Amino acid sequence: MSYPAGLGIILATFLLAPVVGGLLTGLERKVIARLQGRVGPPLTQPFYDLVKLWHKRPQAANRIQIVYVYAHLFFMVTSLLAFLLGQDLLLILFIFSFATVALILGGLSVDSPYSRIGSQREIIQLVTYEPILVLLVIAYYQVTGSFMVSQARSLEQPLLFTLPLVLISFLPVFIIKVRKSPFDLATQLHEPHQELVKGIITEYSGPYLALIELASWYELVFLLALVSLFWATNWVGGLLLAAIFFFAVTVIDNITPRVTYSWMVKFVWKVGLGLAVVNVAWLYLWK
Amino acid sequence: MKRRTVIPFGPQHVVFPEPIQFRLILEEERVVDAIPALGYMHRGIEQLATVKDFTKTLYLAERICGICSVMHTLAYAQAIEELMGIEVPPRAKYLRTIWAELGRLQSHLLWMGLAADAIGYESLFMQTWRAREVVLEMIEFTEGSRIMTGSITIGGTKRDLHAESLEFLLHKLEHLEQALNDIYPVFSDDPLIKQRTVGVGLLSKADAIKLGAVGPTARGSGIAEDMRLLGYAAYGELDFQPVVETSCDSYGRMLVRVKECFQSIELIRKAIAKLPPGEVLVKVKGRPEGEVIMRIEQPRGELLYYLKAGGDKSLARWRIRTPTLSNLPPLVHMVKGARLADVPLITLSIDTCIACVER
Amino acid sequence: MAWVSSARKRSPWLLHYETGGCNGCAIEFVAALTPLYDLERFGMLNTGNPKHADILVVTGCVNARSGRVLRNLYEQMSEPKVVVAVGVCACTGGIFHDGYNLAPGADKVVPVDLYLPNCAARPEAIIDALLTAADLLAETRRRDQHAHQRAPDQQG
Ligand code: SF4
Repeated sequence: MSYPAGLGIILATFLLAPVVGGLLTGLERKVIARLQGRVGPPLTQPFYDLVKLWHKRPQAANRIQIVYVYAHLFFMVTSLLAFLLGQDLLLILFIFSFATVALILGGLSVDSPYSRIGSQREIIQLVTYEPILVLLVIAYYQVTGSFMVSQARSLEQPLLFTLPLVLISFLPVFIIKVRKSPFDLATQLHEPHQELVKGIITEYSGPYLALIELASWYELVFLLALVSLFWATNWVGGLLLAAIFFFAVTVIDNITPRVTYSWMVKFVWKVGLGLAVVNVAWLYLWK
Repeated sequence: MKRRTVIPFGPQHVVFPEPIQFRLILEEERVVDAIPALGYMHRGIEQLATVKDFTKTLYLAERICGICSVMHTLAYAQAIEELMGIEVPPRAKYLRTIWAELGRLQSHLLWMGLAADAIGYESLFMQTWRAREVVLEMIEFTEGSRIMTGSITIGGTKRDLHAESLEFLLHKLEHLEQALNDIYPVFSDDPLIKQRTVGVGLLSKADAIKLGAVGPTARGSGIAEDMRLLGYAAYGELDFQPVVETSCDSYGRMLVRVKECFQSIELIRKAIAKLPPGEVLVKVKGRPEGEVIMRIEQPRGELLYYLKAGGDKSLARWRIRTPTLSNLPPLVHMVKGARLADVPLITLSIDTCIACVER
Repeated sequence: MAWVSSARKRSPWLLHYETGGCNGCAIEFVAALTPLYDLERFGMLNTGNPKHADILVVTGCVNARSGRVLRNLYEQMSEPKVVVAVGVCACTGGIFHDGYNLAPGADKVVPVDLYLPNCAARPEAIIDALLTAADLLAETRRRDQHAHQRAPDQQG
């Protein structure tokens, strides 16, 4: 990749990703409201929220918490950036997990029971979905023969045809990551959380919450980009796949209650991990 | 020993509009003990009743609880009527029954919504509250206001229903029944709801009797107990059977409430069909004297009033024992050993009404 | 800055606390969030967390015990913040005003900006009050005024 192109991607990521992520979040809130028979907030609502939060008086329980928030945002942006630059998938997912870990450490650093229990649940979630991500990388390597994201573009047929089950098993991971029910165990961004006040983000306020919100937009874009990897040969297909995923998650969020974490671990490992393993094994035996 | 965390559950909490606090003592995510802390809503109603005029105490009774305000005025009016030997006109009795059942409907729908919210099922919450608005529309149309209606008074009712209102009621009941028919299967069959409620918050029949559970909590544990069977107001003439479930868990209590909604609709229909003509209010003269115990069935269970009056303008003593108070010991029993994730649901499954408890 | 205040106006997050009273107003507040009234179309969210909230909605009469909680919640909210007293109980104590353990009105405990006297405030009235509160939030001038205002001594 040439330097100017790389620079362009970096700039676009910084500027465009939050816009896209914010609009998608607004769209999602609108769709959810419509599904519940409400009018719902305007599409640009997330931006108002962000600006408002940014201009509230900061309040932090301790300084280290602030460091973790910035780290969370930094790793989130980095993973998206690396992805769009076509870097090593293993490395990207590693950085991505780092972002989550930063948030968890921030939650654990304060002495609030809600935040602590929220963090513990986030750890359980991390443990739950991480094996699926690893399998995804393995499967990716098997098909493309490389860990580089850019490799997917030069395939003859989209990954979807060789890795359909892996994509399905990615669905619970996606739901966990965007904190939607049934797996919104640790926190919810736009609805009150019924068990833990706000869970892991209880103790953040004002600008720090705004940063977490911003990071969640980058995260959404990153996850959707990861989905579109399954149809990377053609950008229309990629977009379509991402859109289907996005709406599926929104609908699932609306028609399910929250489950307990033990059920989540069981379900995700049995079904999600099972499907991914079957897919990988099938590739291994056939090819 | 495992590390224990103490988590304050409430007093400010999104699931409950009312403040109640439990100090939950947790081991990992399991509750080993729950210590309820009350008193956030105490406002001295029993004391106020001893200085206010007994006719004005009626409005105080209405404001014990905003959800079952009709029930409280009904109980108070009946108690005073019994003390003073007033015979209420039959039409008023039927009207009281209709309004009491409307109150029960809105209370149960409210509860169903909050229960859905407690397990993180927001869209179901929205749907049930949408159906609840239909009931509120009926209440507003026939009683004049949404919450504090003041329609029941000592000696009868303040309003009468004319043919047009009855028509409206029947029409809206139809709507409501349709909405409930859509909601009912979700509560009874949705696999994830079952997964969250079946076997959660067990209260065996023996425990329910021993700890003094009342209302849907008792009926969910297989005890066919319903104060409406005493036949106050017009209930004696509308034959019905209490709804009983035997699964003894949150699921059972939930089903009891959902099914009671259908029962209430039936009761209102029957009452409208049988509504006798005539006056609705008799004149009240004199002052109450003596003692009386009045029991009625609230949406949450048995409400018990003890009134003592010495012929003065205000009462000498007014003791209010509300259903939630009786249901608190079973609740503490159920919460022990539960997972943290289930605590909001278990607490809700007895349908806590703190405003009633603390008066 | 105009755009900051316009953002504030469009995204007030709510914190509801029921201090006492009969919870009629509390239920009507919740009803205002549901489909028929839908507060979210004005960008209002019921957060349930004082650290995230902009508007504190108080319903019910304040007694010694809940007054402490109310004060605590108010102090945890970060500026700018607005307090709305919903229902006559929260405004003056209402029907319970001469009760032996009550503060006559929430303004004895926290500085109240808006009063909505109604016994069982209707959801429409609540929406109106909250929109007015959002306008107050948008006036940045108030921010400093609030910071220096000393609340009257807490009861009980
Ligand atoms: S103002 Fe009326 S409805 Fe509201 S809490 Fe007080 S008594 Fe209840």
